[in-house]
Amino acid sequence: MHIAEYALTLCLILLVNFGLPRMMPGDPFLNAEDDLDQPFAANLTTEQVAYFRAYYGLDKPLSQQFIGYFCGLLHGDMGYSIQFKESVRNMIFSRLPWTLFMVLASLLLSCLLGSWLGCISALHRTGSLDKALYTGMVLFSELPSFVVGLVLLFVFSVQLRWFPMGGGLSPFVPPGNPLSWLADAVHHAVLPVLALTVSRLSGFYLLARNSMMTVLSKDYVRTAWAKGLGAQRVLWGHALRNAMLPIITRVFLSLGGLFGGAVLVENVFAYPGLGALMGTAVGNRDYVLLQGVFLFMSFLVLSMNALADVLCRKLDPRLA
Amino acid sequence: MSAVCVQSNLRKPSRILAWLAMAFCALVVLMGVFSDHLSPYTYNIPSGKSLEAPSWQHWLGTDDLGMDLWALMCHGARTSLLVGVSTALLAGLGGGLLGSFSAYLGGWPDRILMRLTDLVIAMPRTPTLVVLATFWGPSLRNIILVLAFFSWCGPARVLRSRVLALQEEKFIVAARSFGARFFHLARRHFLPNLFPLFMIGVTSQISRAIMAEAGLAFLGLGDPLSKSWGLILNSAMSFRGIHYTPFWKWWVTVPLFATAFLVAACAILCRELETRLDTKGWNRGKKAPGGNHAH
Repeated sequence: MHIAEYALTLCLILLVNFGLPRMMPGDPFLNAEDDLDQPFAANLTTEQVAYFRAYYGLDKPLSQQFIGYFCGLLHGDMGYSIQFKESVRNMIFSRLPWTLFMVLASLLLSCLLGSWLGCISALHRTGSLDKALYTGMVLFSELPSFVVGLVLLFVFSVQLRWFPMGGGLSPFVPPGNPLSWLADAVHHAVLPVLALTVSRLSGFYLLARNSMMTVLSKDYVRTAWAKGLGAQRVLWGHALRNAMLPIITRVFLSLGGLFGGAVLVENVFAYPGLGALMGTAVGNRDYVLLQGVFLFMSFLVLSMNALADVLCRKLDPRLA
Repeated sequence: MSAVCVQSNLRKPSRILAWLAMAFCALVVLMGVFSDHLSPYTYNIPSGKSLEAPSWQHWLGTDDLGMDLWALMCHGARTSLLVGVSTALLAGLGGGLLGSFSAYLGGWPDRILMRLTDLVIAMPRTPTLVVLATFWGPSLRNIILVLAFFSWCGPARVLRSRVLALQEEKFIVAARSFGARFFHLARRHFLPNLFPLFMIGVTSQISRAIMAEAGLAFLGLGDPLSKSWGLILNSAMSFRGIHYTPFWKWWVTVPLFATAFLVAACAILCRELETRLDTKGWNRGKKAPGGNHAH
């Protein structure tokens, strides 16, 4: 049932992707005639326009065009970038590891740190520690990742010069031993990962705090205390196991937000991932590339969300 | 997820912080409303040398074209407010009304609307925004429409669940059994009970929309004719060598921290609103579901 919904969303995205360029005013041939002062200006006759229309399949009805587009996608054909004259698929796959690394690292960090702080807060719910943590997290809760990224960039790399200002690796370094390569990569990744982590942290914190508080007020936790179990046993054995469920769901569901944040953060740090590719595509109005990246990201996020749905039903029998 | 469940664990932000947040928001609103009269210079005509440091003539310095940064910031506040408020009104009120009506009507309109919110919520927000803004062109109206399209689902769902809960209440059932019609119910019972939720919905959407616009503008998708804070950041960051020259100390810092403070202030205000309504508002004296008691 839910899987069907995700598939439907994916279809919607496909339709949007297919429809957007066709909804734009004018067509590629009008455009080519328009820029007469451009080096590639072309003055096409009606026959030539008809020829090119047939060549690109634009004379067929929309339904057939869509089927062709869809079959192409199934073969992994996302077209060629206008700016770079390169297959969009290859460009995406060469950039993918950077983004995946960044997203997964910050997902792990923000989830672990956020849940830990949330549990601490829930345990000290009347104390000043909870008050300070909670206030701080609310202050940070809506900060977008690119604002955090810009602050980190100008404080730590421009002013203090602790970290490089951008890129994924130092340029002009001959390939040496893999250890120094790794150190260089990590050195470049620290600030982008940190920016993304900080912007997602409070979501996990608020969720973990709330979930833990709810669980701690349940009868079975009171029973556990009454049995005389130690604090560690009650907290980690009884409470946390039940408080974890919403957090696990959140891990998968936050992927959409993380990829969105990555788009902005990578543009702040010129990090060579998918988001920076999207930024370049926007800057050059490279529609084919932009749509390819968008489609790929949507597919990734939607399949992760579907996975989360399945996993949750497995973990929590009450939902099934 | 019921709203009550979440709210009972809320903590009230400290009084000073709430006042500070209120003051900052008020300042930004004043900046936006009186933006034409607050600076001796205009935002769209160069009024000094390019990249002047802050001085008595130019309080916040100038940008690369020699425009006064304070004038730009005031105008940016106006743009941001325009985007934020109109998106929030469209999404908060429109989405809320849609949700309430769908719960009131029930049946297949309700089912269709809920499926629709599922679809929209599952779409990855930022990439879709970027694609739509690129294709439709960066005019302020398009940005507002696109943002509203992505933000109406939250308020719609919250209001829907509230109306569903309200319809089970004894006083509504009683009023219905006396033959109360839609307009009477809406005016006397639904509106007073739903108004706080509408307020929370609209307030939280304002800062979200401002942030989303700033993000799009930062990527170069802002309306070039109406400078916003994000667009100032974008032009500063696309200035070659911004990292190596001291210009960032005013050109980047001012819009950056203004944006950050505005978001934080909005978040605090929202939390304050939620806790106030939670403690003495619509669910006073009622036990929250799930045995989850308020402190």
